[in-house]
Amino acid sequence: MHDEASRNGRVDGKGKHLLWVDSITKSFSGLTALFDVSFGIERGHIKALIGPNGAGKTTLLNVISGILSPDSGHVYYRGKDLTRLRPHEIAAQGLSRTFQLVRLFTANNAKVLDNLLVGAHLKLKPSFVKSLFLRGTIRHQNLVVRETAYEKLRFVGLERAAGDTSPSNLPFGNQRLLEIARALMAEPEMLLLDEPASGLNDAEVEDFKKLLLAVKEKGMTILLVEHNMKLVMDVADEIVVLDFGRKLAEGNCDEISCNRKVIEAYLGSDYMKLAGGNHPE
Amino acid sequence: MKVKRNIGWLILLLFIALFPVTLGRISPYYNTVLILVGIYVILAVSLDLLTGFAGQISVGHAAFYAMGAYTSGILTAKHSISPSIALLCGLFVSGLVAWGIGRAVLRLKGYYLAMATLGLNAVIVKLITCFAPITGGASGLLNIPPFRIFGLTLQDHTYYYYFVWGVVILVISCCLALAKSPFGSTLIAIHSDEEAASTLGIDCPKYKLHVFVISSMLAGVAGSLFAHFMGFIAPDDFDIFTSILILVMLFLGGVGTIYGAALGAAFLKLLPEVTYRFQIYELFFHGLILILVLIFMPKGLLGILTNVKDWLLGSKYRSNPPSLGTEP
Repeated sequence: MHDEASRNGRVDGKGKHLLWVDSITKSFSGLTALFDVSFGIERGHIKALIGPNGAGKTTLLNVISGILSPDSGHVYYRGKDLTRLRPHEIAAQGLSRTFQLVRLFTANNAKVLDNLLVGAHLKLKPSFVKSLFLRGTIRHQNLVVRETAYEKLRFVGLERAAGDTSPSNLPFGNQRLLEIARALMAEPEMLLLDEPASGLNDAEVEDFKKLLLAVKEKGMTILLVEHNMKLVMDVADEIVVLDFGRKLAEGNCDEISCNRKVIEAYLGSDYMKLAGGNHPE
Repeated sequence: MKVKRNIGWLILLLFIALFPVTLGRISPYYNTVLILVGIYVILAVSLDLLTGFAGQISVGHAAFYAMGAYTSGILTAKHSISPSIALLCGLFVSGLVAWGIGRAVLRLKGYYLAMATLGLNAVIVKLITCFAPITGGASGLLNIPPFRIFGLTLQDHTYYYYFVWGVVILVISCCLALAKSPFGSTLIAIHSDEEAASTLGIDCPKYKLHVFVISSMLAGVAGSLFAHFMGFIAPDDFDIFTSILILVMLFLGGVGTIYGAALGAAFLKLLPEVTYRFQIYELFFHGLILILVLIFMPKGLLGILTNVKDWLLGSKYRSNPPSLGTEP
């Protein structure tokens, strides 16, 4: 069933999908991390990428964002081949990402606000010539960007006052939110989120769910790598499952939760019971 | 309010401006000391942009200092070119060499970058020694004329003092402007995490190269100022120990703050003026003070000053971000 779905996707994929991952293969010194993975994400959808640890989810995210280059295969974004572009060029296409282990800027006592200002890099395009000779423009830009930064802080649920604190003083959950706010500063069309809910408590996950839906409401497309199945089932429009670097299944939440292969590989027998368990494939 | 906040800097500026006509008049020797302090402030501050902000450690800053000094020295002493044009040539040559080398060298990170820049410094010093017909070789380059600007020869150290400190203040304000602009934030992002920075659209190699070139150009200016001040330069002035000295100034003063680098340079250049009184124990006290500062002041001299200021002004200045607009 899922094979058929992906074949259909492949046919009309490049037109309908915002992002199209086309048979990506990537191996690290003999170990195949990804093998012939293909799927697409429709504009405005939240697509969850799930799979057991070591399935190659983060590797795939790194390939999409240009940190790793694939051995073979292509990534198309709005029909444009991203495969040979460098990470900053891919970001300029409108793709922002976050990391599994939060990676905020902390050198030189950088504050929360500084992190957000760097997020606006693609808009400001700073250069040393501008910084030295167009001081007035810079000052004006700074004021505008600051306002945007406070807006994003509020949007993800952090208070304005947090702007002047050091990112490492924030509770872990808030650091994650800050990383998302930083990614949003560039006004991206698409967000790649790498396990954004890991380490969050239940209440935080609930808030985070609302945030994801609010982001979606704004018209952004999200590729969500996540282990928290409740969150995935609640927000995802579609799910793609990786196992040992191969695509195991793709479909909407109901299809995935009934898929025997997925249940065996990933969800475990507990979830089988939860989902009814008696759906044969 | 603004004046009140900057009053410390105003006093410092006033001190710098009045020094040669007051204390300096009594003992002109200190004018020359302060000229050297100024030159090292430029070196340390320019290195702070590269190392403190962009996080790219360089143990070869003296190489660019040398290039500025020798370009300026050779052009004026052997080709009778006007010193002010020679200074610009020195700036340009340092920048050009940095641009050429930086593309390759800045691919390296951490210790490897340190080793590569160290090697660069050694190579430059060796080249200067080898090309004796042009550079004067190991015995040095003689007869560099004093600086001349708008037909005015700055032979008198008092005039040169004002010229050097004028340049110092210009350099510091440029570096501060860069540091506080989005360009500075970009450098800090590169310093923290290059990969994360690149996913936000930052072209890390480009920005690293830019800051390397700027930093080297400023070192070239310092070199040129040094050459015209001394009238004689030798390869020894620009060896690896000079590079290490500049790094020590930077870390001693407080890295990544611009002010800290300036403070560290001034402190380390003025320290011998105090410790020489201990005669044979001079090196002992010099070393002891350095060790104590580095152990007990991890944030450098500037960290101590900031703490004292916070303590004097009370906590209200510490945690009150300037408000912009209103919270709905």
